Amino acid sequence: MSETNKAIDNPFLNGLWKQNPVFVQVLGMCPTLAITNSVRNAVAMGLATTFVLTGSNGMISLIRKLVPKQVRIATYIAVIATFVTIVDYLVKAISIDVYKALGPYIPLIVANCIILERAEAYAGKRPVVKSLLDGLGMGLGFAFALSCLGTIREVLGAGTFLGFHLFGPNFEPWVLFLLPPGGFISLAVWLLTFTLWRERQAKQKQLAAESEIAQAVGAGS
Amino acid sequence: MIRVLTVVSLLCGLLIVIADVNTRGRIRHNQEIIMRESVAQLLPGIQKQVIYGIEPSGSVTILSGVQGEGPRLFAGYDAGGRFLGVVIETSDRGYADVISAMYAYDPDKQVVTGFKVVDMRETPGLGSRIGTDPGFAENFKDLDAKEEHPITTVKHGTKKNAWEIDAISGATISSRAVGRMLQKSVQSTAPVVARNLDRIKRGE
Repeated sequence: MSETNKAIDNPFLNGLWKQNPVFVQVLGMCPTLAITNSVRNAVAMGLATTFVLTGSNGMISLIRKLVPKQVRIATYIAVIATFVTIVDYLVKAISIDVYKALGPYIPLIVANCIILERAEAYAGKRPVVKSLLDGLGMGLGFAFALSCLGTIREVLGAGTFLGFHLFGPNFEPWVLFLLPPGGFISLAVWLLTFTLWRERQAKQKQLAAESEIAQAVGAGS
Repeated sequence: MIRVLTVVSLLCGLLIVIADVNTRGRIRHNQEIIMRESVAQLLPGIQKQVIYGIEPSGSVTILSGVQGEGPRLFAGYDAGGRFLGVVIETSDRGYADVISAMYAYDPDKQVVTGFKVVDMRETPGLGSRIGTDPGFAENFKDLDAKEEHPITTVKHGTKKNAWEIDAISGATISSRAVGRMLQKSVQSTAPVVARNLDRIKRGE
């Protein structure tokens, strides 16, 4: 029990794993399905989102006591849009290839529901350091989930990983995985894996707790 | 409330300005690379590029690099120094934001011979197909750009004449923007090219 509490208290691990935005909360499905056809794009999108999420969480937490309740959502959107614009410039300046691949999707980060959700549910009510950690954790959790999908789709759909050929010349790529249906299939596979794994863990915990109670009852009688 | 909103907007504006100032140089450098690559793709067989700036008077002057604002055109020559055509920049408002593009123009035949989107924010999967759809690209292999027929975008599947662009179904607004930007640019730039054609052909 104490272990669970610790994980919830730690905003970084909470976002990365316990409340993973893709595998647990199932948020932000548009970029999850659209930009995961290669590992590189997935990582770049994940990092761009992490930057926006950390920045907006930090700034929103800083100004949380000044912002009147009635206009908080408008203020959050303005802050988020600012960081999206900045990341747009940064990607353009750092790598043209990544920008070409992500170009039209970067401005859409502003509409990624994870970011507004974290602002409203977390950063708007909590101190700066915790909010920064939450943003970082959620962002990296998102990047991790995107890379999981990107790996399946790139390996099966193109026979490469980060551009390196894995299977030699006789491999016939499974192009379906690069197309939208492949995104849905890989997402389903990962969701199933994670849900089964979490359920098994919960069951084990419950069994352990039950046997403890049984022992205690046994000892008592 | 107004005071808080003003402060927040000022702060956001300031952050954007800082980011812009610090990335502008790199972005321009990257854009120059893209531009040179785009010109090379639009004029196959190109070996040498000369960049001309267009003066308000309608004459052209050779520029040393892509740097600088204002209208430009890129002249391409093959290995033997033979003139291949010019590449002209153009832009217009699309569905989401301004679409910037380049197209290759053959001043002798007065046709557009290629089209390439350089920057856009069109809806991924719909409007963005103006940059990726091979069927749409077919429109610009030999698009009549003579003065007597303005370039027009027509509904998907109804293209009859050499000066019409067959729109992408589901991306009509973006397709129309492409037709509009080409017509506007051909109208203003083709006469300049025609007037200075002898100089441009010699690359001076």
